[in-house]
Amino acid sequence: MNLKDQIESLGKEAVELIKKVESLDKLNSLRVEYLGKKGKLKTILKTLGKLSPEERKEIGQLANRIKEQIEDLIKEKEVQLKEKALEEELKKHKIDITLPSAWIEAGSSHPIISTLVEISQIFISMGFSVAEGPEVEKEEYNFDMLNIPKDHPARDMQDTFFLNNGDLLRTHTSPVQIRTMLTRKPPIAVIAPGRVYRKDADPTHSPMFHQIEGLLVDTDVTFTDLKGILKIFLESVFGKNVGIRFRPSYFPFTEPSAEVDISCTVCGGEGCRVCKGTGWLEILGCGMVDPNVFEAVSIDPEKYTGFAFGLGIERIAMLKYRINDIRLLFENDMRFNHQFKGIR
Amino acid sequence: MRVPYSWIKEFLDIDIPAEDVAQRLNETGIETVVEKFGKKVENSVVVKITSVKKHPERDKLLICEATDGKRKYQVVTAAKNVFEGAKVILAKVGARIKDLVIKPVKFGSVLSEGMFLSLEELGISEKAEGIFILPDDVKEGEDPNRLLGLGEEDIFEIEITPNRGDALSVRGLSREIGAVFGIKRKEKLPVVSIAQEEIPQIELLTEKAYRYRGVIIKGVTVKPSPFDIQLKLIKSGQNPINNIVDITNYILLQEGQPLHAFDLKKIEGGIKIRNAKKGEKIITLDGEERSLRPEDIVISDNSKVLAIAGIIGGENSKVDENTTDILLEAAVFDNISVRKTSKRLALSTESSYRFERGVDIENLPNAQDKAIELITKLADGEAFGEKDIYPDPYEPREIKLREKTTKRVLGFSISKEKAKQILERLEIPTQIVEDGTVSKIPAFRSMDLEREIDLVEEVGRLEGLNKAKETFPKIPVESFRKSEEFQFELRTRDFFKDSGFDEVVTYTFVDEEIYNILGIPVPPIRIKNYLLKTQSIMRDNLAVSLIKTLIHNLRFQNRDIKIFEISSVFFEEHEEIRTGMLATGKAVKGFNYTKGNRSFSTQISWDFLKLKGVIESYLKTLGFFDIQLRPSEKSYLNPYESAELFIEGQNVGYIGRIHPKKADILEIPKDVYISELKLRYVLRKLSDTAVEKEGYLFNLFKNRPLPVFKELPKFPSVKRDIAFEVDESVQVDKLLKAIKESSEHVGRVELFDVYYIDENRKSVAVSVDFRAEDRSLSDEEVNSIVKDMIESLKDKFKGLKLRT
Ligand SMILES: [Zn+2]
Repeated sequence: MNLKDQIESLGKEAVELIKKVESLDKLNSLRVEYLGKKGKLKTILKTLGKLSPEERKEIGQLANRIKEQIEDLIKEKEVQLKEKALEEELKKHKIDITLPSAWIEAGSSHPIISTLVEISQIFISMGFSVAEGPEVEKEEYNFDMLNIPKDHPARDMQDTFFLNNGDLLRTHTSPVQIRTMLTRKPPIAVIAPGRVYRKDADPTHSPMFHQIEGLLVDTDVTFTDLKGILKIFLESVFGKNVGIRFRPSYFPFTEPSAEVDISCTVCGGEGCRVCKGTGWLEILGCGMVDPNVFEAVSIDPEKYTGFAFGLGIERIAMLKYRINDIRLLFENDMRFNHQFKGIR
Repeated sequence: MRVPYSWIKEFLDIDIPAEDVAQRLNETGIETVVEKFGKKVENSVVVKITSVKKHPERDKLLICEATDGKRKYQVVTAAKNVFEGAKVILAKVGARIKDLVIKPVKFGSVLSEGMFLSLEELGISEKAEGIFILPDDVKEGEDPNRLLGLGEEDIFEIEITPNRGDALSVRGLSREIGAVFGIKRKEKLPVVSIAQEEIPQIELLTEKAYRYRGVIIKGVTVKPSPFDIQLKLIKSGQNPINNIVDITNYILLQEGQPLHAFDLKKIEGGIKIRNAKKGEKIITLDGEERSLRPEDIVISDNSKVLAIAGIIGGENSKVDENTTDILLEAAVFDNISVRKTSKRLALSTESSYRFERGVDIENLPNAQDKAIELITKLADGEAFGEKDIYPDPYEPREIKLREKTTKRVLGFSISKEKAKQILERLEIPTQIVEDGTVSKIPAFRSMDLEREIDLVEEVGRLEGLNKAKETFPKIPVESFRKSEEFQFELRTRDFFKDSGFDEVVTYTFVDEEIYNILGIPVPPIRIKNYLLKTQSIMRDNLAVSLIKTLIHNLRFQNRDIKIFEISSVFFEEHEEIRTGMLATGKAVKGFNYTKGNRSFSTQISWDFLKLKGVIESYLKTLGFFDIQLRPSEKSYLNPYESAELFIEGQNVGYIGRIHPKKADILEIPKDVYISELKLRYVLRKLSDTAVEKEGYLFNLFKNRPLPVFKELPKFPSVKRDIAFEVDESVQVDKLLKAIKESSEHVGRVELFDVYYIDENRKSVAVSVDFRAEDRSLSDEEVNSIVKDMIESLKDKFKGLKLRT
């Protein structure tokens, strides 16, 4: 066999072997066996000295071509094998992606606070700001200055908890109206969310509950303005199609006063157990600030008018989430609370 | 108040369906529901009981023979009020009462062919004692459904707001309905003749009675009222008693005027309306002995108290079956006085309820005369004499209603012509003047129509608040405040929710007992008239409520609890909003992986440092990086695993583990960690007093320095790991701080190992980066910095040495 044939057959042999290789180690040893310093190609080329310069050049070029061919093949094979090895390594550590997560799970919102925040944000977005007042309140602010004189039947509307220090637990958020008007001059646009207390406990009444009070005082506030603001609010909470009804009523601190009903959110107005068959749900009380209240806080009722409204949060939360017993809201049984994840 | 529609129709020619009337009343301010009177009972008949005898075997049962005029029935009953001659309603075989179908039943050896009905079974009252005995003038054989109007007659159930005492009667409600529908009210005036033979002796000795008219009626026969009177009372929710009492109740319901009949023979001397004397007592008609006080108004004779004015009569002068002569009282007493006494005695009656809300003083004689007319007719009495004391007759007040006021308040116009029309429909005489109307307020509205605004409401509600078109006010620019405290709360709430805590809302009033268990003083603010003793103390911390919530959940085997609440606590001088956290059990649950697809469950349990981590992380989101900890002395916390938190020298809260002894008493786990933050209160206190004057505006971040950008390091740092050995008492936090401050070339300092060598010594290993702003530090430079650092630390920390 001449040298040329030897080199070509060596090349074929190497290509065949490399193609079959399945590990990087084996590939490496083939590289050494054929292309290494003491490798087969080098060994054959040692006999090159015996040849003529022309033959030497020809064989040299052939040997180089074969060498490059083998090298390229090895490189290609190496990439393939590394890919494969990585794939195997990854596969070995494959995880069950459906296993439970192992991180902190976000906590639940309380439906009362959630509702209170949602409602507050609606009014804040309309330009109202949040005012606050104490829960241990003076009788004067809770009643007298709100035109609820002592020994007036209107006091029966709210059964009061009295405290050993002579104060009381506020029965509504309305004293915040008084505190606000005593410290700020009109125009005033505030809401007052907060806890209130009445001596009452059954499936629909809790001795502690939450209200949001609203107050707008300016030179030309009217009852139709009140209707406008409450329409925006009620449609934001209960949807564009909610029916709204204003019924004249009586609150000592507003005149005229009205109670606002919405079409029943359960039956849509056809009549059901929740709405006691009327198709309507009483949702809030409102009215124009009584001139006596303005006088109590030294605001001139001939110059200013205002509206006020108050609504119970629990009732709205219970309607929203179809909760049938108010006591559940204050027990904080996690089997209840955990139902309220993912709400605001 | 229950008012039969048929009674209204005696005052109004009206043919509008009751539902429509109710709807319009609701729309104009009187809450009204329509109900049907009773339930129709098929297969029932009025029977007369012809004999009553005892059951031979069962001593609690009676056997009655009864007849409907056509056939006889034998009925066994347990009711005790049956008697021979009584007219009762019999549910015959086949009748359906609630879910029960009447069948012939044998009680022992005796067959019963039906059941006598009570008002309860007729669907008339919630609870009834005994069989419903019909008046004598009802004929046996009548159909009870037709006779009583069962399931047919419309009854208005009315709820009156406290300002509308004028509508608390058939008369007043008719006036209101008449105004709503534009129908003129009609009235049949009483025809009575009162002789002037015996003028009652009446002395008015108090200013708290505005009018008192007494009429002597003699020769009455006390007996049951006729059927129509009884039926009207029953339909209005009252029990018939006897003709005299029934007539006073009838007039009260119809006219809104409370009346009282005294047995004249039981009165000694004249009548005095006066203040009670100290220590005076009376046994009232409900059988209770009542102690009176000087501020109470009473009706008395020469020797005793006969009645508590406007509230209830006394046993000692009541009308009974032997009464022949009466003194019929019609009066108007001071509303506040009646209310005070009624409240104190916890005794509210139909009479006191009306006096508190105002009684029409001008209608008094008319109402009383109607009673006299009835007594004359139905009890054979004769009026012998009257005395009417009315020292200060009613003068109508004049109120002007300006057209512009109506527009200014309501937002829509009501012309003066329209206003006059509305007000006159309400029977308020009104004249048109240049800029509006002037009304003379009649006595029946004198309690609630006092000012112009009251008339705005009247015209507004009848014109229809509901149909007025909405407008939208401009919200004043001045009030665009940021509601910072509210936003602060929202931020806090979001943080703790996102950190895995569940939001709770607990009662702010708690049980004294938990304070005793925790060994802390019971807070000073208490509810005097609590509903439950266990809900009578206004809490001064959130921990008590959070622990209670934990205990509640442990009952349902819920062992992993992470809860928070933002709520109020109360002190003698102030209240504050706090954020409270409680955590126990597992902080994180989940799975870890090892090779070969195997997994194992992992749990990270709560401990002091984890809760501290949550709190610190929260404070950092608010920009507070420098938080100092000092040991806490709270008796309910483990003293070695608790801390008070300080920011800029202010105590802002605490973190700690429950004391194991308290945990045992409370039967809660020992790994309960609690924290409370009073940041909001502290920040408010620190904030500018000028802000306080603005009300509750909160400028939390106003005075805080903003971060100032520093150039990023240009030269690489050199990292060295250094291990110290220190006394156990050395606080790691202080050591790290000292390392950081030891040289300007110290960059990041990271603790990577702490362990106790023995009881008194610990090892603290840190990794420190050294760098300079203007060059790379050489090894020699770093060695020298470290050497200086160790020297300076040795001075500050007890027993510090380098570990090698
Ligand atoms: Zn419904």
